Amino acid sequence: MNSVGEACTDMKREYDQCFNRWFAEKFLKGDQGGDPCTESFKRYQRCVQTAIKEKDIPVDGVEFMGPNKDKPES
Amino acid sequence: MKIWSTEHVFSYPWETVIKAAMRKYPNPMNPNVVGVDVLDRSLDAEGRLHSHRLLSTEWGLPGIVRAILGTNHTQTYVQEHSIVDPEKKKMELCSTNITLTNLISVDERLLYRPHPDNPDVTILTQEAIITVKGLSLGSYLEGMMAMRMSANAIKGWDAIEWIIKNSERENERASL
Repeated sequence: MNSVGEACTDMKREYDQCFNRWFAEKFLKGDQGGDPCTESFKRYQRCVQTAIKEKDIPVDGVEFMGPNKDKPES
Repeated sequence: MKIWSTEHVFSYPWETVIKAAMRKYPNPMNPNVVGVDVLDRSLDAEGRLHSHRLLSTEWGLPGIVRAILGTNHTQTYVQEHSIVDPEKKKMELCSTNITLTNLISVDERLLYRPHPDNPDVTILTQEAIITVKGLSLGSYLEGMMAMRMSANAIKGWDAIEWIIKNSERENERASL
């Protein structure tokens, strides 16, 4: 699957692989400690946010928070 | 405004279904989804995983249709927020279109839970609110959209099943 930003596709795939593994092997089994994907997520996000601005996609104000940061309940 | 809802049962346990739901694209049943990106992901104070995603869809609209719709863009975008609660075994997903919003609004909500009568299978409750704006044919078009959503929902369920079976094949190969 591609990213909305063509240049971001490889970073997206790297992050997705990391996330899918963590999700299946840790998160769903009740182990929420130590997210191993923070670095790949940061790299990927920088690229995606640039692509979104360039393409003028009207994403509604979701500030980049990254994984494992507590978010107030919405 | 049209409200449409449906239910579907997957003959797989909840964990299997939501692992597939998180990796739903690409799949052969939804060729129009051409891009998926995670905008944000975080755990809340209750240990639930929130994900905000952006989906890019390409409908291959011919130039004249795009001219009528008043858009130069060939892709439409959908924003999605999902919440996975591993303790309560609930996955909730809400999505809305963020382009063509002056014409139409499609708000969808999906809820995956173990079936109350059989915890080894999963029930998906799916609903949508469709509003076509500013056209006198509004309610007719909303009806058409609802029919389209039914057809798409079936594709969506097939897509989840396809992902599950694909993963099973991969696991078999890996363990050989």
